[in-house]
Amino acid sequence: MTRFLLAGTRPALGSSDELALAAAAHCVVEAAAWHGWLRRWGLLLSFGLPRDPGAVLRACLVVAASDEQAAERLAAGWAAVGGYRVSVLPLTGERAGETGW
Amino acid sequence: MVNEGTETALTSVFREEWPRLIAAALRITGDLQAAEDAAQETLLAALDRWPLHGVPSRPGAWLMTACRNRARNVVRDDSRARQRIASLRPLLNSSPRLAGHGSDGERPSIADDRLRLIAMCCHPLLSTDAQVALTLRMVAGLTTAEIARGFNLPAATVAQRIVRAKHILSQHRVAFAYDDPDIGTRLASILDVIYLTFNEGYLPAQGESLTRGDLAFEAHRLASLLTGLVPAEPDPWALRSLLSFQLSRLSTRAAPDGAPLTLDSQDRSRWDRELVDDGVSSLHRARCGGRRGPLLLQAELAACHATAPSFAATDWALIVALYDELLAIQDTPVVALNRVVAVAMAAGPMAALPELDRLACDPVLADSHRVWAVRADVHRRAGHIAAAIADYDRALELVGNQAERRHLAQGRREAQEAEMPAFRESPPELVARFGELALLAGDADRKQMFGYPVCVLHGNMFMGLHEDSLILRLAGADRAEFLGRYDSGLFEPMPGRPMKEYVVVPPAVVYDDAVTEWVRKSLAFAAQLPAKKPKQKKG
Repeated sequence: MTRFLLAGTRPALGSSDELALAAAAHCVVEAAAWHGWLRRWGLLLSFGLPRDPGAVLRACLVVAASDEQAAERLAAGWAAVGGYRVSVLPLTGERAGETGW
Repeated sequence: MVNEGTETALTSVFREEWPRLIAAALRITGDLQAAEDAAQETLLAALDRWPLHGVPSRPGAWLMTACRNRARNVVRDDSRARQRIASLRPLLNSSPRLAGHGSDGERPSIADDRLRLIAMCCHPLLSTDAQVALTLRMVAGLTTAEIARGFNLPAATVAQRIVRAKHILSQHRVAFAYDDPDIGTRLASILDVIYLTFNEGYLPAQGESLTRGDLAFEAHRLASLLTGLVPAEPDPWALRSLLSFQLSRLSTRAAPDGAPLTLDSQDRSRWDRELVDDGVSSLHRARCGGRRGPLLLQAELAACHATAPSFAATDWALIVALYDELLAIQDTPVVALNRVVAVAMAAGPMAALPELDRLACDPVLADSHRVWAVRADVHRRAGHIAAAIADYDRALELVGNQAERRHLAQGRREAQEAEMPAFRESPPELVARFGELALLAGDADRKQMFGYPVCVLHGNMFMGLHEDSLILRLAGADRAEFLGRYDSGLFEPMPGRPMKEYVVVPPAVVYDDAVTEWVRKSLAFAAQLPAKKPKQKKG
């Protein structure tokens, strides 16, 4: 397994962008379920959230995936439930076996 | 975590907190658009964090802190805003909220920020349309698209109303933090906005469906919020009561196919008892105010219907009396129309018709389908079928809602069917006699018309049966002679609608040889008539 960093971004809100309250509640529930699933399978290693909630970069996940394609699939899942634009970055510079994976 | 209950609970939290967030951000930014952006950003932050960290134990407090921080960041990041806040600081510091939640006792008029927000959205500078749109966006948290869908308007129109409203408020320097009017001066507008929103949800003027429940429930939620914010005011209680009673039967107002169901055909066991109970208790609170205003009287009227055990047990006399009371303080054609419906129920259709005739000429009602629909129904109940059909036609010309259109068309069809006499078969000996007479008209075709045998020459009917009568079509001079000779009359298939060329042959003549001469005259008349082209069958 390899570690990947998934970076979730959202474009800055425009004055015409509106978030429906019921849709927001739905999104929280869906995303929480998705993260729970990731945790249960041991694929979510860590996450990071920026201090300033207004930043374009909204959240990062460190995930374990067998290869880049698998990481891309996780990224697509996160994008779907969280509404993010997700970039996949392989984490390099670690010695094999150090992570325990 | 993944269940509908959680989602519903979260939706409630977001809805409950939305106006508080807007108000809190507005206090800090002083600008409605910036406040809205901050509240939206806060929701997005919740979307980022809650799935990973879990929903906080006090989600409302979390949202409020995040929103205030966001609003402060917005102000801090904006150099112009920094100057503005510096100039406003003295005012902000002296506002009741910052000085301890209004505890200074100097400006007690609007103690709650949500109420202050509603009052701001219903500012007299704004048109009613703008007040409604802004209230639904800022207080109820509906998106522009949701509001547009509710009112069957293009989203661009609603967006424009909201932008313009914000602009007007900003242009006139209507600042939330210190624009603190006496709630009494705005209450009427606020109640109007809520009532308008409800009406559009309960009986949309346009569109396919009979109701747009979301909008109606949103209005009820706002009314309930208002009673919580100004519990000593009777009118919000009256409005809440009225809306509760009306909403209690929302799900029974339409049949599965979307057709409207009137009170007499609704399943009362499916009325929402909780809402009826809420209506009753709110009505008690409203009565405590002592003043019997229009809202209270409308709530009393709604209570008469909602608490009647059956349609037959409805106290129509009390309803008429309540309408009389309402008319005395709110003499509008719409109230008068509703009253006349009650009169028709209490005293019969004939008692209602003179007033309905007057109302049909009222310029306010003449262009609305309702007066014509009501009069059509009353005429129908009085047995005035032709008049009922004419009124249905007028109502159908004017109605905008498609479900109501179908309902009116159905009423018209039923009225028409009531007018058509029931089919009564001709006696066999008369049918046999008709067969003999038809032999005299060699070239004529024998057909069935409305179930009766007839003879037709070149497409023109000239002899036929109807119930127990033989009918002949005669030229003017022959007809006059026939009617002069026999105790007979013109053929009248429906009362009041004689067919002027046709005569009824008296039974004694039918079986007499003399009838053959009249059949020949009838055939000769048909031969002179222009031939009719046969109707082409569809498909």
